[in-house]
Amino acid sequence: MRDTKSLLLLLVSLLLVLVSFVLIWTWGYNFYAKDQNQKTATTIVAPDSARIAATVRDSLQKLYTATLHELDIQLDSTLTNSDSLKYQLDAKLAEFYRLRSEIVALLKNRSNSNNFTDAKQKIDELQRKVDDLKDKNQVVDSENKKLTEVLNQISSADRNAKPVINAKTNTSEKLNPPYALFTATDLRLAAVSADEEKETETTQAEKADKFNGSFTVMNFNSQLTNAEMMVVVLKPDGKVLKSSGWDSGTFNTAEGKKIYSYKFNFSYTRGEAKRLLFSLKADGLTKGNYTMEVYQNGQVIGRVVKTLS
Amino acid sequence: MFTKLTGRLFLVLAIISLNCFFLTAQNSVVQKFESSNIYAGIEVGSKGVKLSFVELDKKASEEGEFKILKDTSVNTDFISFTTATYQATLAALTNLYQFAIKQNRIPSANVFTAVSSGVSIQAEKEDKKNWIDQLINAFKTDNNEPDRKVTIIDVKEEARLSHLGIVPEARRYNTFLIDIGSGNTKGGYFPYDNTKDFKLFQLTWGTKSAANAAEKKLGTDNSIDNFNSQLSRVLAGAEENEIVYAVNASGAFPKSDNIAFSGGIAWAVATLVAPELNENAVIPVSYDDVLQFSEKLAKNPGLYSDYYIVKTMPENITDLDKLAKDVKQVNKVFDQRALLSGTGLLLKIMRQFDGVVERKKFYLVKNGAVGWISAYVNQHSVK
Repeated sequence: MRDTKSLLLLLVSLLLVLVSFVLIWTWGYNFYAKDQNQKTATTIVAPDSARIAATVRDSLQKLYTATLHELDIQLDSTLTNSDSLKYQLDAKLAEFYRLRSEIVALLKNRSNSNNFTDAKQKIDELQRKVDDLKDKNQVVDSENKKLTEVLNQISSADRNAKPVINAKTNTSEKLNPPYALFTATDLRLAAVSADEEKETETTQAEKADKFNGSFTVMNFNSQLTNAEMMVVVLKPDGKVLKSSGWDSGTFNTAEGKKIYSYKFNFSYTRGEAKRLLFSLKADGLTKGNYTMEVYQNGQVIGRVVKTLS
Repeated sequence: MFTKLTGRLFLVLAIISLNCFFLTAQNSVVQKFESSNIYAGIEVGSKGVKLSFVELDKKASEEGEFKILKDTSVNTDFISFTTATYQATLAALTNLYQFAIKQNRIPSANVFTAVSSGVSIQAEKEDKKNWIDQLINAFKTDNNEPDRKVTIIDVKEEARLSHLGIVPEARRYNTFLIDIGSGNTKGGYFPYDNTKDFKLFQLTWGTKSAANAAEKKLGTDNSIDNFNSQLSRVLAGAEENEIVYAVNASGAFPKSDNIAFSGGIAWAVATLVAPELNENAVIPVSYDDVLQFSEKLAKNPGLYSDYYIVKTMPENITDLDKLAKDVKQVNKVFDQRALLSGTGLLLKIMRQFDGVVERKKFYLVKNGAVGWISAYVNQHSVK
């Protein structure tokens, strides 16, 4: 009987152990399954995080643009300030030199009648001006430092930005330094007297009504299909000859903006010898040398001088 | 004592020299204008009365070209249609007419008088057409010229005459001329290689109307940044609703190589963008030139003061005194906001012609104001 009881108890214990195992296994399985679900959920969220990253990048881009813009404004205002300071400095320097020469004149004139109190006053004034100049110089120095800092910031920002934002532009800039692609030969400039029927070349300024010019351009290096070329005709007084506002304009060179007398826009095939002709009306020409210069890409590619008597 | 005496002597000498100069100058002007090929045109416009002296030589009249010798104007604001502005306009008209025939000795048959389309359009809107008739009759009576012809020009004829007056013969049939006024924009081109058929182009937007529309949207924030934002909105609307359509409808793109702009804003931008070419009546520009100008102007208007422009100009390139005077005049007529509005409108129109494949040449005309009256004189004197 006692054996039957013990067996029953043993069976119940075994059952309990088995149930415990089942429960532990179920709990473990649930835990594992939950972990897997969480991983899947993270994968689904991925596009959202990409958008967030893009937004952050956009905002950084905006911040970058705003900073550049701010730097630009700073640069402009600093330039204006430094200009006005230079103007003030010039005025002060002029005053300083005036006083100095007055004092030198007073000291040179050592006659008894001369009043040295005047000289003393002027020396005091000069001293004040020197102090003023010193102060002004410090301000100019600090403005200069500010300007250099702004320029450095801009150039460093530019250096950092180029490889990321516009690497392509950077490469093309390196490939295209400003040099002329064309050569100009057979340059001619003729003063012409024109009546109703015909035109005759002249060397006399008073008879000339206009200038006719021509030259041949050639290019073996570039695949350019459209080219632009400027002609500058300089008068004996150094000013540019302009026949009409419709023909003349400005262009950029290494030395700054220049005025052209005539501009050519033409289509071109590599290796072609292209003859270009122009005419400039010119009233009241004076005697002297007239220089014709041909520019391409801001560089002089040909020059010829015509003398009118 | 000696200093005082010397001063007085110099003053007397200066006055005598000045008198001599004026007498010589006047004589030379009179001699020149007495010639049979000098004509005068007097125009009653919306803002005032303008007088132009035009020289036509034989060759020039055959080619339809002429030279404007001198022009002057008196601001009277006739289109306000008040008694005061009416009286001022009548007085200006009479005085300029007398100035032409008496002081400059131009025969009365060579003096042409006309009323601009702007005046007639505004008079029609306000039912004040009788004010124009009254002005013409009073002018005839005051000058004892009952048979004098005072023509009222319509908008298409005025645009056609402006084209003839401004654009040279060589560019006549490939140039689209656009006059940006204060309240509207008008212009056009000759599509068929003759000067009779003219394709008219019109917009209801002008420099002042664009600025006014932006001002109305400002609210409490009167800053220049807010003005610029509101202006961008106004102009975007104008572009979308009117400019794109008007340019397409004009059919000007394939027929025009050159796009020339006249009007006050063209004069102002030309003076400030290309100070080196201050002596030129016309200057070539690109879309980028005008865009850059607009951006700099919004950021730092000081860059376009007469002091700064003259200071940064290379020596011997142009008459710096005249340049300073002209820039000062531009800044007097247009403040920063008016300049931004006009430039914005200019850019919106330019953009329609700045294609990727084909780009047109842009020009800004400075002396557009005397264009149509000069062409009117030219046409009527040839007949």
